[in-house]
Amino acid sequence: MPSFTHALRVRGEDGLVALLAVRPDLAAPPPSTVRSLAARAANRTSLERALSGVDTRTVQVLESVVALSGAVPPAIPARGRTRAAPAPDPAPVRPVPVGEVRTAVGGTPVGAPDRLGTELLDAVRSALTAALLWTDPPEAAADVDATTPLLPAPGLADALGPHPAGLGPSLRTTLARRGGESLERLAEEVALPAAPAAPRASAAEPTGADDAAAATTALVARLAAHLARQDVLDGLLAQAPAGTRQVLDALAWGPPVGRSPEGAGRTSPARAAVDWALRHGLLAVSDAQHVVLPREIGLALRSGRTHRDEDAPRLDGRLVDAGTVAAESAQHAEHTVRLVAGLVELWGAEPAPALRSGGLGQRELRRAATRLETTDAVAALVVELAGATGLVVEDGEEAGSLAPSPAADDWLALPVTERWAVLADAWMRSERAAWLVGTRDERGALRPALDPESRRPWAPRLRAAVLGVLADAPGLSPSADAVHAVLRWRAPRAAPPQHAVEAVLAEAQELGVLGAGALSPAGAALLAATDDGTSLTDGAPGPAPDGAGATSDAAARPADPAEALAAQLPAAVDEVLLQGDLTGIVPGRPSETLATLLAETAQVESRGAALTVRFTESSVRRALDVGRTAEEVLAALSRHARSGVPQPLEYLVLDTARRHGLVRVGMASSYLRADDPALLAGLTEDPALRSLGLLRLAPTVLAAQATPAALLAALRARGLAPVTEGPSGQVVLGPTPGHRVRPVPGRRRRETVAVEAREARERRLHRVARDVLAGDRRERARAEDPSADDGVPSPDPVLGLDLLREAASEGREVWLEMVDPHGTPVRRRVRPVRVDAGRVRLLDAERETEMTVAVHRIATVTPV
Amino acid sequence: MTDGPLIVQSDKTLLLEVDHPAAEACRRSIAPFAELERAPEHVHTYRLTPLGLWNARAAGHDAEQVVSVLLEHSRYPVPHALLVDVAETMSRYGRLQLLSHPTHGLVLHALDRPVLEEVLRSRKTAGIVGARLDDDDVVVHASERGRLKQVLLKLGWPVEDLAGYVDGEAHPIDLVQDGWALRPYQEQAVDNFFHGGSGVVVLPCGAGKTLVGAGAMARSRTTTLILVTNTVSARQWRDELLRRTSLTEDEIGEYSGARKEVRPVTIATYQVLTTKRKGVFPHLELLDARDWGLILYDEVHLLPAPVFRMTADLQARRRLGLTATLVREDGREDEVFSLIGPKRFDAPWKDIEAQGYIAPAECVEVRLTLPDGDRLAYATAEPEDKYRLAASAAGKNRVVEQLVARHPDEQVLVIGQYLDQLELLSDHLDAPLITGETTVRERERLFAAFRTGEVRRLVVSKVANFSVDLPEAAVAIQVSGSFGSRQEEAQRLGRIMRPKADGRTAHFYAVVARDTVDQEFAAHRQRFLAEQGYAYRIVDAEDLEPDRR
Repeated sequence: MPSFTHALRVRGEDGLVALLAVRPDLAAPPPSTVRSLAARAANRTSLERALSGVDTRTVQVLESVVALSGAVPPAIPARGRTRAAPAPDPAPVRPVPVGEVRTAVGGTPVGAPDRLGTELLDAVRSALTAALLWTDPPEAAADVDATTPLLPAPGLADALGPHPAGLGPSLRTTLARRGGESLERLAEEVALPAAPAAPRASAAEPTGADDAAAATTALVARLAAHLARQDVLDGLLAQAPAGTRQVLDALAWGPPVGRSPEGAGRTSPARAAVDWALRHGLLAVSDAQHVVLPREIGLALRSGRTHRDEDAPRLDGRLVDAGTVAAESAQHAEHTVRLVAGLVELWGAEPAPALRSGGLGQRELRRAATRLETTDAVAALVVELAGATGLVVEDGEEAGSLAPSPAADDWLALPVTERWAVLADAWMRSERAAWLVGTRDERGALRPALDPESRRPWAPRLRAAVLGVLADAPGLSPSADAVHAVLRWRAPRAAPPQHAVEAVLAEAQELGVLGAGALSPAGAALLAATDDGTSLTDGAPGPAPDGAGATSDAAARPADPAEALAAQLPAAVDEVLLQGDLTGIVPGRPSETLATLLAETAQVESRGAALTVRFTESSVRRALDVGRTAEEVLAALSRHARSGVPQPLEYLVLDTARRHGLVRVGMASSYLRADDPALLAGLTEDPALRSLGLLRLAPTVLAAQATPAALLAALRARGLAPVTEGPSGQVVLGPTPGHRVRPVPGRRRRETVAVEAREARERRLHRVARDVLAGDRRERARAEDPSADDGVPSPDPVLGLDLLREAASEGREVWLEMVDPHGTPVRRRVRPVRVDAGRVRLLDAERETEMTVAVHRIATVTPV
Repeated sequence: MTDGPLIVQSDKTLLLEVDHPAAEACRRSIAPFAELERAPEHVHTYRLTPLGLWNARAAGHDAEQVVSVLLEHSRYPVPHALLVDVAETMSRYGRLQLLSHPTHGLVLHALDRPVLEEVLRSRKTAGIVGARLDDDDVVVHASERGRLKQVLLKLGWPVEDLAGYVDGEAHPIDLVQDGWALRPYQEQAVDNFFHGGSGVVVLPCGAGKTLVGAGAMARSRTTTLILVTNTVSARQWRDELLRRTSLTEDEIGEYSGARKEVRPVTIATYQVLTTKRKGVFPHLELLDARDWGLILYDEVHLLPAPVFRMTADLQARRRLGLTATLVREDGREDEVFSLIGPKRFDAPWKDIEAQGYIAPAECVEVRLTLPDGDRLAYATAEPEDKYRLAASAAGKNRVVEQLVARHPDEQVLVIGQYLDQLELLSDHLDAPLITGETTVRERERLFAAFRTGEVRRLVVSKVANFSVDLPEAAVAIQVSGSFGSRQEEAQRLGRIMRPKADGRTAHFYAVVARDTVDQEFAAHRQRFLAEQGYAYRIVDAEDLEPDRR
């Protein structure tokens, strides 16, 4: 008998590896047999997960197959039903040929080499690979064409929800809810042709309950077949009261459930139309207030289509010149690196206090933004980047503060492109959602930067997905809306929130991953580098050609993002034009030495393709403060100045130097005064007091490096009688060296996603597939050899559940050993209906009852 | 990318490398939409402002042109956001139009209805506009034309004024070009102005702004009202017009404190117009005395506030503003632009100098170290007295003497702020002194004597800041000024920039007390000129002495 399990079995090792590759959750922990693999693949959680990764076209195919095959979610008997219904027949699932799916989804037949056709075939193939569909016979999956019969994986109908493609329950289901009389009335109303002569059906009076049930079932089947015919529907609609068509049309494209008109009285036209449709089986009662449009009627109203024509959205946007992209991305990249370095310097001098709940408060963030001369949003990104790279850590003290880690020094020593690569790589992999900073959480509190809560596990995937969209359209600068539309098409069941897409684009822009809105070469390299390890899980499941294309593409790109950025940077300019109005202009990107010189001696007025600086007294003083002399400054400037140093600038430097150091500041821990210069002179000369570091500031004043207490002690030891002065003589401290903090182990780990190398993963998956198949062979050997199958129950509770699920989806019966409410073990032959939330719903055919059993009461499950 | 002369920064500044072979062409193409901000020796800085872009739109340039000019001349890729912003900004112009309606008079017409709605809902337009005619049109009171334009500019939806100008009373005026001719840049300034209808022409001092005015009058050929800063300047205008145009003495009237003549061409002073008696301006009626076809504003950077207000009512008449330094310390440049009109012509001083139309000038700042006694007095003085103390330091007299001695054969002006200081200097140098108290007659006599060379040294207060034409002055020594006024500095330099017969260089000295606020103010004062490319050489006063030999 063809079954889903069998279909998986015949895929062989490579087929199973392909499945495990696109649905990695099936391989962990490794299943022991094909049967348990099949059960797991039909498990709702796993299906949801698989569905979240498929694109809109594939979802359309799946919905279409589910709808056309007649598969229904296992019937959930309505609550409060008065009489025990006879177990409904397992829904007859009919294989749907690809060609039919093709027509239902829309467009022209498969043979034509049109876009939709290939797209559809790709969708079918990927659904088969992911075991969301299977074929009967299983071998047909190898070569998909218009006739390939498709079947939904067990549980798929359930996972897709109650109304696949916006279609309601099938006529069989809706009709089966009616009583016998109602059915007969309906048969009259729709002029059901007499049944072909059959011994049972011709009997005037049903003789027993079984016969009655069988007769009802047969009538339901005939009615369903009759009503599903287009000509019958057209005929009925022709006689229908006004408004019926509108009512049906309103429900035709889903959702198929509508609220019954109420309160309008029997006479309202809407009411009349709905009543008429109900009477003729074109609508069914869903519950007291709602009516539902049966699936076949819906399909007929849609002319057999399950979906309207819908094509993948085209990514629209402005085409940007490659030079502009490279230039802008390089500028942003440099700028962000500069900001992060600025933050490290800022917090190195003065660590920022952290919030008690972790993170950086709004006020501190704003302060950093002001000091870095940027906006709060950019500052938030900068802080998050510094956090994600571990350049800035919390010191773990009681009153915690944020300060650079030793890693910051290593980072600062790197060339700018490498520094950028570190930041960009951390950004790609970070689960931090910087865009949440400054928004309010559920409790209305502002989310701080570096908030431990602002973590979104899907953020790295989203970044890769967004950049992936842009990578498909080189040079294009699309709007966030357009990107979002594409992402929604690519994964309709796991579409990211629009604001997150906007935020990722904005961050990428700021970081220089984008330039002028288009993916920059450095960004592409970054994506390729990050993608390398993860493409197997995130990439489109599909045949080999796809993968081959991706790898050759990746090979064409420069592998190293830092190198790619370096290639983007314009050539460095080593000269500056100094002008009489004390400005200087570097007509391009300044070289490393020139940039350092200007950073030391001037203040920046404008940055961009060129650098404009202004020399002021304070900027020159800054250079003198770090130990440059006026002559050095002038010599260095004239080395770089094409047109020489103008006289006013020279004068400025010399004049500033003249006044530099007129007032001097030093450090002392204590001082001593005496009116007798001779006494003090004696003290400074005394070798015994050398350790005090006495320095004569004036004939009557000495400064000491020792503490007042030590000074006092030493002087007393020398036989003097010193006294301390009041607290007005306070200690003056110079600048303390920058704070450095070691990260506290275990407190916050650097975020890295362990990426399994591609080969290692493939080896592992092959091993799992081989084991599964081997386990399967063993199991079947046992089944064929009765001696081995002698009542050995499955010991594995997971497998037990899997067996129950499988049986539920296939409508088969199993032997169940369980403990009844009185604590007595019982063994029943049952048909599971639904397994979920730790409970199993069962039909006991022998006792004609339905029961719900908690999973923990089940001891063993054995297939019949 | 091209190897162009222009670098476009993302902060909307444009850097133009002047030594580049294509710099001149580039300058010409960006001039219509970019404001020249600084013009030092190597790299000129222009800035893209909304006002500049809108003026370009008004002059018939569109965003596409601007973008293509930037792309053509830029050395590096132009920031994308900037291009988008340019297009966006320029598209805001002209969504609203001022039209002359045959029956309703002046009408504000919307090409974009939501913009009109937005504008009408603003509190700022309340009372300026009248009844709504239909969805797209609103009546505007004719007298509010200027204010409406200003308000709309502030709201960011500049209106396109298509209501035109009144022709005014025709009056034949011709240039009499015997033995002289308008210089090319003057011609171009007149053309630009007349083509645009109204606007401001910026030319360096001594570059012949009066002739631009005369040229505009000859082009307009209508009755003209000329507004000037003071009576001396009014007389100079009259003399110049008599000499350069077909106008006769009878056609030119003077409307000042002394005389009240209204003739086809009337020259009035700002002071007379703004005289207020019992809360009213009795002389404002002059503006309606005739059907003026052209109104000329001399030294428009000095336009007093009441004249601003009345100018708002004159939007239907052609207006020409003339200035050398459109920097107002009160920051009202924008109002000048919106009320008189956009800048129609602007040339860096150094360019005019290079063409030989103004004298080359050397600017020197002489730093004087104060003696210890003065320094102590300065250090302990009240903050408000500090500048006065430093600026009128006694040591400056000696420096001035030394400087004067360096130029024995030239006409020297000594300019200062504080009268006692100037009196002292006048005694020291044995030179006549002109202050605000000197009568007009005496002033004219002294200026005339200075022009003929009878008087070689003149000590003047700030009365000589503007509009005093002293062609032969070749040396100016500034001892003090009104704090950090940039335009005062430029105007003072302007006094000596008339080209000299022998083409010699003019000298401008600023004597400054070292390490005081005087030095700080001097740095600020020099900024405009430094940005125009006048690099100040700084010398120490002590170094002057050996130089003398």
